[in-house]
Amino acid sequence: MKKSVIALIVAALVLTTTFIWIFSVSGPIKPMEYVSLGVIIVVVAFALLLGYKRLSSAKKGEPAEDEMSRKVMQKASSLSFYISLYLWLAIGYFSDKFNSETHTVIGAGILGMAVTFAICWVVIYFRGIRNE
Amino acid sequence: MNNRIKEFRARYNLTQDDLAKKVNVRRETIVFLEKNKYNPSLKLAHDIARVFKVHIEEIFYFD
Repeated sequence: MKKSVIALIVAALVLTTTFIWIFSVSGPIKPMEYVSLGVIIVVVAFALLLGYKRLSSAKKGEPAEDEMSRKVMQKASSLSFYISLYLWLAIGYFSDKFNSETHTVIGAGILGMAVTFAICWVVIYFRGIRNE
Repeated sequence: MNNRIKEFRARYNLTQDDLAKKVNVRRETIVFLEKNKYNPSLKLAHDIARVFKVHIEEIFYFD
């Protein structure tokens, strides 16, 4: 219950910050900023989904997390960490080529890590954890 | 690993929700177990077997 409330608060904070950023931008929004916005919305939607699942479980009297959800989370975390290492390598390579600013590179890396985790979680959840 | 949870559930007239509550897991864990998409821990397998009053190997088996 506590974790789901924290997830919802973090998601709300990210959304608020994103809207402040959009309304403070002077001039038209660049295409890359639309991409960032889309990715942020996907990540927030994922966090809201996880928070909602936990809350609805708690309301039904089920445990907020059990051994399967914990295992899916552990596997998704370890896999996304492994993939993120290569992501940072690729970002380092391309940032040199395109002379990107440091804060853009760090922002892209963090968003990329969040998206990687969300994708890993969805894949592992729907594929299941079978004989290993 | 395969299992006969669905069969035993029908025999005892239990819903997935009932079984989930008895072994203290989410209903989706029972769904995944029945679809053979998840292998339970020894503790969960033991708890499920205890609900149906049988040995673990009568519910969980290898092909």
